[in-house]
Amino acid sequence: MTLEEQELAASLVRIFENVVLAEEKSIQKGYFSDLSIAEMHTLDAIGPYEARTMSETAQDLGITTGTLTVSIDRLVKKGYVNRKRDENDRRIVRISLTRNGKLAARLHGKFHAVLARHILEPYSEEEKALILKMVREVDSYMETQVERYNNEDYRKTAKEVARDTRKREE
Amino acid sequence: MGDNAEPRERNLAEEELDRKDRIFEDVLKLLVEELGISPTDITPDLRIMEDLAFDSLQIYQLVIDLEEAYDIRMPDEVLDTVVTVGDVVDLVYKFTS
Repeated sequence: MTLEEQELAASLVRIFENVVLAEEKSIQKGYFSDLSIAEMHTLDAIGPYEARTMSETAQDLGITTGTLTVSIDRLVKKGYVNRKRDENDRRIVRISLTRNGKLAARLHGKFHAVLARHILEPYSEEEKALILKMVREVDSYMETQVERYNNEDYRKTAKEVARDTRKREE
Repeated sequence: MGDNAEPRERNLAEEELDRKDRIFEDVLKLLVEELGISPTDITPDLRIMEDLAFDSLQIYQLVIDLEEAYDIRMPDEVLDTVVTVGDVVDLVYKFTS
């Protein structure tokens, strides 16, 4: 591993950990300290406007409807989410945010917006465009890595990676 | 608008003012409830954060109440441009037009 690669690898892990830590702390010290990060992200996925179905929301969060049901049970009890059955199709459950849920989600959204604003602020428009281009590429690369592990046999993938590396070195 | 304005244009301008007045009344009601101060203490030129000392939570409470009352959506990007009570009225007016 080159020094550049070492620095990038360490930075990626640290950025991930610190974003999560900062989010956690901002929630703990904010008005909605009874919410966990996962619960806050669930509120975010439901969104502040129209009611959504359980399956749509679960899909957006990348979790099963069973897991979402447990989380929604808690959020209903805490007063952040409304849940009701569709009038026309009783099999469909629709969830929406209460006033408190909307407040929590919008304030948390502000946290992310402020974070992004502070990161981009010192740069020119050209530099911002370049930063966003690089971030999009890193983001997309990581998405493909996750997809690989989702769709393929892990051992086979690891072998393929090793074979590709050997080929490149030859 | 001058005296030479057509009656139809004059009516439209009056309607616009009426509607803005009604929005201002609604905003005033919400601010009075939140701050517990007299409506006469609130004028359109007051700055929400500096003069009324609103924090982020109070701003979003106001926004969510107005969104529900008028069935509109006020995204964060436009909220960033809001400074005074009058700006809030203009924004609600714009989204309900």
